[in-house]
Amino acid sequence: MSLVINYIANSLLILCLVTSIIQSRFLFKIQNYNLLSISQISAIQFLSILVSFFLLIFLFITSDFNFDLVYFHSHSEKPLIYKLSGVWGNHEGSMLLWILILVLFNFLFSLSKSSSQKFKEITVAVQSLMIFGFVLFLLLLSNPFNINNENFNDGLGLNPILQDPLLAIHPPILYIGYVGFSLIFSLSITGLLTSEVDKKWATVAKPWVFAAWSFLTAGIALGSYWAYYELGWGGYWFWDPVENASLMPWLSATALIHCVVVLQKRNTMQSWTMVLAILTFSLSLAGAFLVRSGVLNSVHTFASDPGRGLFILIFLFIILSSSFLLFALKSDKINRPTLHNISSRNTGIMVNNWLLISILIVVFLGTMYPLATDLLYNQSLTVGPQYYAISITPIIILFLFFMILSPKLSWEESKLLKIINEMRYILISCLTITFLTTLYYDLFNITEILIIFLSLILIISSLSSGLNFKSTKVIVKSNFGQSMAHAGFGIFILAVVSNAVYSQEKIYDAKVGSKLQLDEYIFDFKNIEQEEKVNFNSIKAFLSLSKNGKDLGDFTPEIRFYSDPPTITSETSIIHQFFSDVYVVMNVPQNQESISLRLHIKPFMNILWLGVVMIILGGIITAILNKKNYRENEIN
Amino acid sequence: MTDTVKNRLIKFLVSLIIFGIAILIIVYNLRDNIVYFYSPSEIIENNQTGSQIVRLGGLVESKSVVSDGDSIFHFKITDGQEQISVKYQGILPNLFAEEKGVVVEGIYMNDGRFIANKVLAKHDENYMPPEVIKSLKETGKWQE
Repeated sequence: MSLVINYIANSLLILCLVTSIIQSRFLFKIQNYNLLSISQISAIQFLSILVSFFLLIFLFITSDFNFDLVYFHSHSEKPLIYKLSGVWGNHEGSMLLWILILVLFNFLFSLSKSSSQKFKEITVAVQSLMIFGFVLFLLLLSNPFNINNENFNDGLGLNPILQDPLLAIHPPILYIGYVGFSLIFSLSITGLLTSEVDKKWATVAKPWVFAAWSFLTAGIALGSYWAYYELGWGGYWFWDPVENASLMPWLSATALIHCVVVLQKRNTMQSWTMVLAILTFSLSLAGAFLVRSGVLNSVHTFASDPGRGLFILIFLFIILSSSFLLFALKSDKINRPTLHNISSRNTGIMVNNWLLISILIVVFLGTMYPLATDLLYNQSLTVGPQYYAISITPIIILFLFFMILSPKLSWEESKLLKIINEMRYILISCLTITFLTTLYYDLFNITEILIIFLSLILIISSLSSGLNFKSTKVIVKSNFGQSMAHAGFGIFILAVVSNAVYSQEKIYDAKVGSKLQLDEYIFDFKNIEQEEKVNFNSIKAFLSLSKNGKDLGDFTPEIRFYSDPPTITSETSIIHQFFSDVYVVMNVPQNQESISLRLHIKPFMNILWLGVVMIILGGIITAILNKKNYRENEIN
Repeated sequence: MTDTVKNRLIKFLVSLIIFGIAILIIVYNLRDNIVYFYSPSEIIENNQTGSQIVRLGGLVESKSVVSDGDSIFHFKITDGQEQISVKYQGILPNLFAEEKGVVVEGIYMNDGRFIANKVLAKHDENYMPPEVIKSLKETGKWQE
């Protein structure tokens, strides 16, 4: 049975390899093959990977330990959902997932009707060339269907910290984001090859760019939310190399989505859009694979294999050098000289593009500096979070300013005084709110006040520009996606700053029956219990929370002792209130009498996630609305 | 030299200078915020005492972990040659165990003790921080 599956899966992978070669024929001007249409071949390509992916899922569900991958990463007693997430919780499986999304995007694009036949052929060809590279890598260096000759009774299990419903969906979402940019990359290469980077190109690319960006944002947010409640360190972002690796493509992708809009509206910034598209995909590749290659030292590092890292570096080098060579050859042909006024929206967007790239450089240097000193001076070091805070804060202040200003500027020419005059009510009300908040909370740090003031203006001015308030009804305007995402960003920044200022934390050595206090909250430590579950034993503490005599709910922080593999995890217990989260983590009891508990008050966490959700929804709305508009244009 | 080429050259140089200055500022800021990593031997050799926050990594020596209540822990970190006593108040990460790799962050005191304010956790129970592997290899205590 196992041998049959192994045989079928490998044949399917080879089938995909063959179809990819057929699809890439358009790049080499071999056109005499017309048996099947592009979308039909893409369908075969997609189905071959889909079926082999289902085979791998089947192997994990049936716990077939004749397969190395299942043996190393699964266990017969694991709940079904974690057998499933075990499929992509390891290098080989995640690689297959990556390829699955790659062929899915290729297939979807081959079905789309938004571009000309020739354009579609070349894009699919570029994409297929990439698919070829990855499938070859999978077959040669990380085949998920390798068989062992032992008869193992049970598997080694999946790291319990990864046994979490959120972490089961985090990699697929993040990967859809990363891989989405492969299509943008292929579109850019096609644009460069055909010298057609213009309004039409932007209209074709826009929904894909926004969709990929939304998924990438959601993927990062899910990872961050997971770290917030699972790691139990009280934070949601640690400037860890692995987190930075996903933030870098996000920063360049954020610059890219704005450029695509400019390109669509004004037919300008062609070269810069191409640079960003190539950069974003390169950073996505690096982000997805250097993480697993072991090059980056991080709290998230999993078992690694340097050989694979080398393959990815070579792949990255080929992609970067060939695409920038192509760019250097063609950039003169795609650029159209345009004159635009210095006080137009172009300028605003360009400035914020540069600010995003500055943040990218800050993050890049912070991530790479330790690697460089280790290689050059054999000196290990880490970069503290302070570095990021100090470097990024001034950039964010400028960024917020231009985020407020740019949408108010017209594409032609604008008068600054007129804009200020139009915004006077918003400015005055935000100034008043900021002033009152400052007085009420004794806030005297000028940077914090400035950020709060600017993000308040951003929230209100964005919301009011996306909605039109008539006396009886609210009209949603066409830029609703943009205004929602911008307002979401304002809310996010507001929450980040307030959270940083007002977070509190305290550690107690507590006995059962004692009452603990933090700020105005009283924690009543009631009981402690031991329990045996299916795949772990647990120690649970019971606490109830009250504030000013009002009961707010119960905490059940927990320590879990897993046996396969032997690991201990703490489950944090969080009570979400509208304005702040209260958070309890317990420690492995060291003695009989007392237990260490860490209490956190994290204000504005809900608001922070609300901001993030608005950003993601804004991206999705823009992706969908654009498509609709285009269809309408087509019919006309 | 034609005007367009001249124009481009000027633009290029100006952006290079601005870019260079920006990088300098960032790197300067970076150097103030880096945390060095040492093994017990290195920290004794360099005599890194004082107020600077550093990281110390190695193996937790067996039978060295003592708790004296109030979440205060004492333990020793060794690289096979030297050992350093560490005092830490807080919650130990779940993967903290004797004879396993550990990285602590804090201040190395004049009296040779290390006051840690962070004990860093890792995801994987078999995972060993690369710095620890490196320093163990240097002292010949590392077995594949």
